[in-house]
Amino acid sequence: MKTKLLFTTLTLLCTGALFAAESPQVGAPAPGFSLPSAQGKTESLGAHKGKYVVLEWFNPGCPFVQKHYQSENMQALQKEFTKKGVVWLTIDSSAPGEEGNLSAADGLKQINDWKMYPTALLLDADGKVGHEYGATNTPHMFIIDPDGKLIYKGAIDSKASADQADIKGATNYVKAALTEAMAGKPVENATTKAYGCSVKYAP
Amino acid sequence: MNPLRRVAFVLLAAALLFPAGARAQKFNGRELVQASLIADTSGIVPGKPFTAGLLLKMVPGWHTYWQYPGDAGIPTELKWHLPNDWKVGPIQWPIPLKLDEPGDIQIYGYHDEVLLMLQLTPPAAIAGKSVQLAADADWLVCEKVCIPGSGKVQLDLPVADSAAPANPELFAKFRDRLPKPLPTGASAAISWSRDAKAFRLTIADKSLAGKTNLDFFPLPESPTVIGHPRRAAAAGGGTEFTIPFETADAKVQTLDGLLVVDGQAWSLGTKPSNTDGTAPVPPGATDRSGSLLKFLLFGFIGGFILNLMPCVLPVISLKIFGFIQHAGDSRGKIFGNGLAFSLGIFAWFLGLALLTIGLKAAGHQITWAFQFTNPLFVVAMSAVVLVFALNLFGVFEITLPAAATTGMLGWSAREGYAGSFFQGVFATVLATPCTAPFLGSALGFAFAASAGVILLMFVAIAAGMSAPYLLLTAQPAWLRFLPRPGAWMVAVKQFMGFLLIATLLFLLWVLGAERGPEAMIWTSAFLLALSIACWMKGAFLLPGASALRRAIVLVLMLVLVLGSGWYFIGEKFRVTQTAGPSLTKSDWIAFSPERLQSELAQGHSVFLDFTAAWCITCKFNEASVLETASVREAFERAGVVKMKADWTNADPVITKTLQQFGRVGVPLYVLYPAGNPNQPIVLPELLTKDLVLNHLQTAAPKVAAAP
Repeated sequence: MKTKLLFTTLTLLCTGALFAAESPQVGAPAPGFSLPSAQGKTESLGAHKGKYVVLEWFNPGCPFVQKHYQSENMQALQKEFTKKGVVWLTIDSSAPGEEGNLSAADGLKQINDWKMYPTALLLDADGKVGHEYGATNTPHMFIIDPDGKLIYKGAIDSKASADQADIKGATNYVKAALTEAMAGKPVENATTKAYGCSVKYAP
Repeated sequence: MNPLRRVAFVLLAAALLFPAGARAQKFNGRELVQASLIADTSGIVPGKPFTAGLLLKMVPGWHTYWQYPGDAGIPTELKWHLPNDWKVGPIQWPIPLKLDEPGDIQIYGYHDEVLLMLQLTPPAAIAGKSVQLAADADWLVCEKVCIPGSGKVQLDLPVADSAAPANPELFAKFRDRLPKPLPTGASAAISWSRDAKAFRLTIADKSLAGKTNLDFFPLPESPTVIGHPRRAAAAGGGTEFTIPFETADAKVQTLDGLLVVDGQAWSLGTKPSNTDGTAPVPPGATDRSGSLLKFLLFGFIGGFILNLMPCVLPVISLKIFGFIQHAGDSRGKIFGNGLAFSLGIFAWFLGLALLTIGLKAAGHQITWAFQFTNPLFVVAMSAVVLVFALNLFGVFEITLPAAATTGMLGWSAREGYAGSFFQGVFATVLATPCTAPFLGSALGFAFAASAGVILLMFVAIAAGMSAPYLLLTAQPAWLRFLPRPGAWMVAVKQFMGFLLIATLLFLLWVLGAERGPEAMIWTSAFLLALSIACWMKGAFLLPGASALRRAIVLVLMLVLVLGSGWYFIGEKFRVTQTAGPSLTKSDWIAFSPERLQSELAQGHSVFLDFTAAWCITCKFNEASVLETASVREAFERAGVVKMKADWTNADPVITKTLQQFGRVGVPLYVLYPAGNPNQPIVLPELLTKDLVLNHLQTAAPKVAAAP
C-alpha cells in the first residue's frame, strides 16, 4: 500500500514536471484534445480548425471566477465573441471530490444559473487537458488562432483582485488579444501572469 | 462528502457569500483570518519614523500569499488612509513558505501568522493629541478553496515627545524573518545568464551549493512571467537555478528574488524586497553641473597628490634614488629619464582609460581601482613586487636588459630609458588603490561622462602625477640639493627591498581579505617558487656560463615558474572561495541599505565608512583617525552608529550606493545626523581627528535638539 502510494506520488511528480516542461508557450501549436461537454457531446479542438478558439479554465467555487461571472463580465465577453464566430470552450479541471468538480448535470445547471454563453462547458476531471496546457489558475485564459497556434496565455484582465469593482478600470487582455488578432495585428500582451485560485487537480 | 454534495455545498457557500457584496471573512462559521494593525511604538513622535505592521492570523491549514504568490493567488494589499504629509514605506515581506499544490502548482505564502511591516514617517508637526492610523487590507486566504477577505484595520496612537517600544516580541520575531542583504563579497559568487527560454542563476559558492535545502524564490516584475525555478549542479562544485520564462523583455537579464537556506534568506537583485534599496543622498551629491575644466583641475591636483600616498612610497623613493644617480649626467639625459618616467605614468593611465571606456561600452559597471577587485591582478602584482625586491636585495642582477623577460626590471640598468618608463608604470599601478582627495569627485564626474571626458580626465591625472618629475628633471639645478652617490646607495637599495616586502605583505593581506587565508598561502607558495627561480638566475646564470648550462638552468627556471604557477594559482588558488565581510572591530556594523534605513528610522545618527582591504588611504584613515581612542569615544558619546561598507570585492550594492553619491571609488565617509537624515554630510577623503571630532560635535547637538 505504502509503496503504491509512493509510486503514485512519484509518477504524479514526474508527470507534473513533464507537463510543466511541455506546456505550450505563445507561438507554439496548441495541443489537440477531445473532452466530453456538459451538453453531452464530445468536443475536440481539431474540429474547430479555421476559427479562433478561447479556452477558459473554470471553477464555480473560486471567488475570482465568481468575480467575473457575478459581474457578468465573462458572459458579456462570451456573447460578444461567440457572435463573431469565436469558439469559446470553458474547461473545468477540478478533480472529483475537489471544489468545483462538476457532473454533466451540475454543469448544465451552472450554465443556466449563471446564464453562461460558452460554445461548450468541457469536463476535464482527470486534469489531463489542464496539465497539457499548464493551466494553473481559474480563470486561466488561452486563445488559439485559426491555424491552431497559441496566441494568448494568461490572465483575464490586468487587475489581480477578487473585487468586482476592479473590473471597470482593468484592461481585458482576452478582449484586447482577440480584437487585435482578428484585425490582423500582432497581440501586444500575448503572455501575462494569470491570477486566481489554483486549479483543483487531484491530490 | 461525495462530489455532488460537495459541489452543492460550495455553490451554496458561494451563493451565501456573494449577494452580501461584502467579502466575508467567515467560512463555515469560522473566521479564517484575524487582521489587526500594530506598531512598534507606544506613541507617535512628530517627524520620527516608526514601523507599523498588518498582523494576519490564519486558522490552521489556511495560507495568505507573499508578494509574488507563485502560480496562483494574489498578494495581500494595504491601502492607507493617512494625511498626504505622511510617508508610507513599502511592505517588508517576511520569508514565505513554498507550498506545493496538486498538479505541480507552486505558491508562496504564510501559514498561521504573519506580520507585514512597513515604515511610516509622520510629518514634523502634528495637530491634535492622537493619530488614527487606518488602512484597508485585502487578502486572499486559501486552504483547498480560496476566500478573499478584506477589512479596515486601525490603530490609535497618542502624539508624544518621546515614545517607548511596543509589541517588541512580535516585531522582533518577524524582523528576524526578513530577508537579509547579500553579505559583502558573496555577490561575486552569484552570476546570471539567460537564453531564449530561461534565466540561469549560478552560485559558485561551494558551501551554499552543498545545502540540500537551498532554494531560490523569484520576484519577477510585471510583465515578466516565469515558471518554476529548477535546481541543478553546476560546474566546479557550484549550483544552478534555471527559471524558465514565458515572457520576459529582452532587456531583463536577471530576476530579483530570495536565496533561501536553513530558514534564512538573502535578497538578490537590484530591488531588495524590504526597502527601495537606496541610501538617502544629500541634494547635489550627484550634481554634475560643475564645469569640465574644474574637474580636470581636480584631476590634475589629485594626480599630483597621488605621489604623496603611502602606497607609492617605495617606488617614489627609488625614483628619487635614481635621480641621485643621474645627478652627474648630462641635462638631456636627465630630462630624457624624467620624460620616460612620465611616459610610463601616462601609458598606464591611458591604458586604464581605454579599458574603462571599453568595459563601459560593453555595459559593465565601472569603478575606480576596479583592477584591485580582481584577485589575479593582485597575485600578479605580488609577483612583480617580490621579484623587484629580490633584485634590490642582490639575489640576482639584470644582465640582459634587452631580453624581453627583464621588461619591468630594466629600471636597475642604470641608464635605461625603458627602465624609467617601467618605473613610471609601476609607481602608477601601486598608486591606483589610493583615491587621493579631489580624485573621487573628479573621477565620479568623468566615469559618468562620455569616452572623451574619461580620456581627458585620465590625461589630467597623469599630468598631475608626473608634473613634479618633469619639473625636477627639466631643472636639474634643483637636483644639486640631493646627496652625492656612493657606497651608501647599496644599503639604501637593500632597505628599499624591505619596503617592497612590506608592500607584498599588504598585497597578501588584500588577497586574504578577498579570498581567505588559503588564497594567501597558495600565492605565497607560488612566490616561493618564483624566488627560487630568481635565485637560480643569480647563482647559475652567470655571464661566463656555457650555453648548455644556461639552457638547463633556463628550462629548470621555466618549469619552476610555470609549474608552480599552474599548480598553485591555476589549480589551488582558483578554487578558493570569496571571503565574507571582514569586520575586525565588533563595534562596526556591516552596511546594507536596509540596515541604514532602519537605523535612521530609529532616530540614530549613522557614520558610514566605505572602505576596501586594498585601499591604503582607507586603512590610513582608519588607523590614524577612526580607530583612535579619542575618536572612538567621541562616536560613543554622540551615540553614532558606525557602519562599514566593505567594497573589497566590489559588492554591486555598495557600488550602487557609491554611485548615488557620485563616486566611483573608496574611501567615502558619510555622516547622517539623526535630526536631519536627509542631509547627510560627506567628509573629505583624508580624515583628521579634529575634522571628525568637529563634525561629530556639530551633528550631535542636532541629535539632541531633534524633536
